[in-house]
Amino acid sequence: MAVELSPKMQTFTQEVFPAIIGTNRKDASVEIVPVWFEQKDGSFWINGGTNRGWFKHLQRDPRITLLLIDPKEMFRWAQVEGRMVNWAEDPGGEHINQLSHRYLKKDYQGPRTGRIKIQIEPLRVTGSIDGWR
Amino acid sequence: MAGVRAAAALTPAVRTLAALPILVVIATKRDDGSVQLNPVWFELKDGFVWLNSNTNRTWPKNLQRDRELTMLLIDPKVPDRYAQIRGRLVSLIPDPKHEFIDRLSRRYTGKKFRELEPNEHRVTFKIQPVTVTGQMI
Repeated sequence: MAVELSPKMQTFTQEVFPAIIGTNRKDASVEIVPVWFEQKDGSFWINGGTNRGWFKHLQRDPRITLLLIDPKEMFRWAQVEGRMVNWAEDPGGEHINQLSHRYLKKDYQGPRTGRIKIQIEPLRVTGSIDGWR
Repeated sequence: MAGVRAAAALTPAVRTLAALPILVVIATKRDDGSVQLNPVWFELKDGFVWLNSNTNRTWPKNLQRDRELTMLLIDPKVPDRYAQIRGRLVSLIPDPKHEFIDRLSRRYTGKKFRELEPNEHRVTFKIQPVTVTGQMI
């Protein structure tokens, strides 16, 4: 069951820093990489090429954990356990361009083709933002 | 995990980053196979990554079970620069006099660690870097 984000989490997820995502590799080890994200209507959205390791992992095992952490004040963080509920092509790179404006305040400079956007539903939130310690 | 048992040497770029008082994000696996991510204090010394924890927390239990983890260091000035380090636990060292956690605490806060709580046991993890990937390898 998806959980609703608290007002503090709603605010925190509007801040601009990458999400650190953890996915399960086939050999049972974990891959962690930083990616651009946005939170909209309670879901998290990320974007990538279909050749990204994490996308291959998610197709096999849709569980994904996001660590949202303020790189300047690293005690401000939230861990979101979630799962990929949907993915879709990003025709014309509209979504990656939107993310580029969120992070860089300019049009996306990379290739706009062959991209996909992924919707992640939060199942559990822990960490310091909601007051856990 | 066959074929990745050899130790990896860390590049100067990674060592420079690791010398900053930033947190390392560690990934371990829960009993159900889901990924747990935690930002934690660490020190890179003698080619090993050293962590310390209260034995009651979940990630130390996960790490003791699997004896491997993945770590991520991010450049605080340029978040797109990062190093992903896969590591394996080579030893677990009890820290009964909390010397190591005091040392870590000084690295991050300039002060000794807080007083331990009743029944709080600290333990130090010595991690061997196995592979390094990312934008600053």
